[in-house]
Amino acid sequence: MRNTGHVLRAAFAGAALAAAAWVPAAAQDIHVGHLADYSGATSDVGTPYGQGVADTIAWINANGGIGGRKIAAETIDYSYQVPRAVSAYKGWAGRVVAIQGWGTADTEALVAFVSKDKIPYYSASYSAALTDPAGGSKADKPAPYNFFYGPSYSDAARAMVQWAAEDWKKKGGKGKPKYVHMGANHPYPNAPKAAAEAYARELGFEVLPAIQFALTPGDYTAQCLTLKQAGANYAYLGNTAGSNISVLKACHAAGVKVQFLGNVWGMDENAMKAAGEAADGVVFPVRTGAIWNDDVPGMKLMKAISKMSDPSGTAYRPIHYLAGACTVLYMKEAMEWAANNGGISGESIKKGMETRENWVPKGAEGVCKPSTWSAKDHRPTLEVELYRASVKGPTDAAVPELIESGAIKMTKIATVKLPRKQEWLGW
Amino acid sequence: MTSVAYDRPSGDFKTSYGADTTIFPTRTSAAFCVAGIALVAAAPLYLDKYGLSILIQIGYLGIAALGLNILVGFTGQISIGHAVFFGFGAFASAYLNNNFGVPVFLAIPLAGLATTVVGLVFGIPAARLKGLYLAIATLAAQFILQDFFARATWFTGGVAGTPAESLSVFGYAFNTDARYLYVVLAYVVVMYLLATNLMRTRDGRALVAVRDHYLSAEMMGVNLTKYRTMSFGVSSFYAGIGGALYAHYLGFVSVEGFTILFSIQFLAMIIIGGLGSIMGTLMGTAFMVLLPEVMAALAGQLAGSPIDRALGLNEGIAFLREMAIGAVIILFLIFEPDGLAHRWRQIRAYFKLYPFSY
Repeated sequence: MRNTGHVLRAAFAGAALAAAAWVPAAAQDIHVGHLADYSGATSDVGTPYGQGVADTIAWINANGGIGGRKIAAETIDYSYQVPRAVSAYKGWAGRVVAIQGWGTADTEALVAFVSKDKIPYYSASYSAALTDPAGGSKADKPAPYNFFYGPSYSDAARAMVQWAAEDWKKKGGKGKPKYVHMGANHPYPNAPKAAAEAYARELGFEVLPAIQFALTPGDYTAQCLTLKQAGANYAYLGNTAGSNISVLKACHAAGVKVQFLGNVWGMDENAMKAAGEAADGVVFPVRTGAIWNDDVPGMKLMKAISKMSDPSGTAYRPIHYLAGACTVLYMKEAMEWAANNGGISGESIKKGMETRENWVPKGAEGVCKPSTWSAKDHRPTLEVELYRASVKGPTDAAVPELIESGAIKMTKIATVKLPRKQEWLGW
Repeated sequence: MTSVAYDRPSGDFKTSYGADTTIFPTRTSAAFCVAGIALVAAAPLYLDKYGLSILIQIGYLGIAALGLNILVGFTGQISIGHAVFFGFGAFASAYLNNNFGVPVFLAIPLAGLATTVVGLVFGIPAARLKGLYLAIATLAAQFILQDFFARATWFTGGVAGTPAESLSVFGYAFNTDARYLYVVLAYVVVMYLLATNLMRTRDGRALVAVRDHYLSAEMMGVNLTKYRTMSFGVSSFYAGIGGALYAHYLGFVSVEGFTILFSIQFLAMIIIGGLGSIMGTLMGTAFMVLLPEVMAALAGQLAGSPIDRALGLNEGIAFLREMAIGAVIILFLIFEPDGLAHRWRQIRAYFKLYPFSY
């Protein structure tokens, strides 16, 4: 009897000691949640983006952290499932000061939660519904704690519609050009649908009924034939690269001559390799001011970040990797501002995001584009860089070699500057 | 299909019908049950948030799985669309609360009733079909309702989903895991007692008769159509209650969760737990909830270890987890086809008869 008592008391004392030793050490760290899709419907683009986020956090920690404090990130792969994202969030609430998120459906589902708990949420969803922090716009509800880096889906689609209108004139097209939205019936492809269609009508397009295809790769020949029959001139692909490749290939095989316009997640180096010549000519927006092999000052920082997971420094990083890195760098500087202005908390990080105008994280010049978040408007930029994919010949080699040989190439074709219209806020 | 009645040790004679249908065969088993409830009720004292969330998950899934066990294990029907009834309950409860201001406290049972009605409608084919044909009919329910969820924006918020308020009674909000655990626990106790008692009644015995030999049952005067359809209704009621509890726990209901995969998971729960066993349902649910968590923890241990580096697993680890779950389920079905309930009875018998087991 006495023995058990001893053992129990010793165990309790040990546990208490361990707890006491653990708590202050952990309090030094800044806890951040990282929600990633490595195994779900959007894992094709979720993997490079998530790698960018993880590497940048590792780089920050290896270079002095935030005023000496390290960022302790907890990564959860939620497979693009909203319920899993919500339960991951519930595990984080109260423990983390910021979250690096991912998809549209889950980010929009969490808007009410993060607003209530005052946790800045950096999504990789650029849904315009997340850009209205104060309320009163066309967005369903205000999203004061939601941030993202890059043009919103709606603004990117508007920019492409505007480009398409000029392209139609330039090519000497006769009559009304026909525009069609393609994508899954899912919050992410749906996000820019209404805004882009309205703008297309405004610019004199005939808008065809939307064509649906799932977020997963499949046989989309039927969709291509519909496209052909309807006689569309410009088709917007709302999904991510994986399923877009299927559409591009099917349409290439069916001989459909349409100018495809991809979403920011709709085209990248890996997709160009996978789709081969079918991807030739696709126009799509790029969020960063440069791509991996460009020579801009900020690339030095990006190469250093890339070395965190690739010590040899030879890896080629797709455009989504750079976007992930920029998102984390903005969070880093907002945290630093917060640390100098009363301590790091959700509220102060939000303020740190909203104090500056047209700012670029230190060292990322030329890569991360100047962005502004204000207390009334969370559209970071309305300047959209449009690129055209060009693919020549077979694409069997690895991506770095294909880039090297020029078999796949991304060329900047336009920079569209949209006006910061109040009525465009939130949709 | 096994039932408790079959494997009794020799010398265990019942002298009345009352003794034969008692809920707890011995005092010890009653004490065990009460102790188990007390242990769960005290969980916030010794479990962290993660542990509590798993207990809550086992609770609401266990209620829905019990419904399926009444349908499959006790009545001998089949359903591969249980997840949509679970989803219907979740959406219905959120809808009633968001649009008509029905307090969550009432919305949960109302959602159960609404799901019952839907279940009865989709149960009508069961009156005429059985076996694989019925399975396909319930598959239709799965796809019809899933598509309905995606399109009925007024009801479900469409593909964007709908928020669900947390439960509060007289201003006391059950908005943390530690508080919500008691709501789920109360529902689990009530729903499991209800099911146990249902099986002791005339109606319950009729269900078992339909399962064991429907022709004989019909000749004895059991109305097959009535009981087969009723079984669907009861099953949907349980699914609806489970779904509603899930909705107000998570705070958000989204269309994509209620897929056929989820329906199959419910089937896996009751097959692993033991068809026709009420206690086994809870064990099977616990098994299915804990398995991915344990596998995730093991996979987490593996990440960065020498094995990982030697094999270059990297991102493959996430998939290793899914594969291991599949393998464990297959092994389980091969080596323990009668379910956890059977294994539990064997363990119990071993200790009861120790050291003179036979």
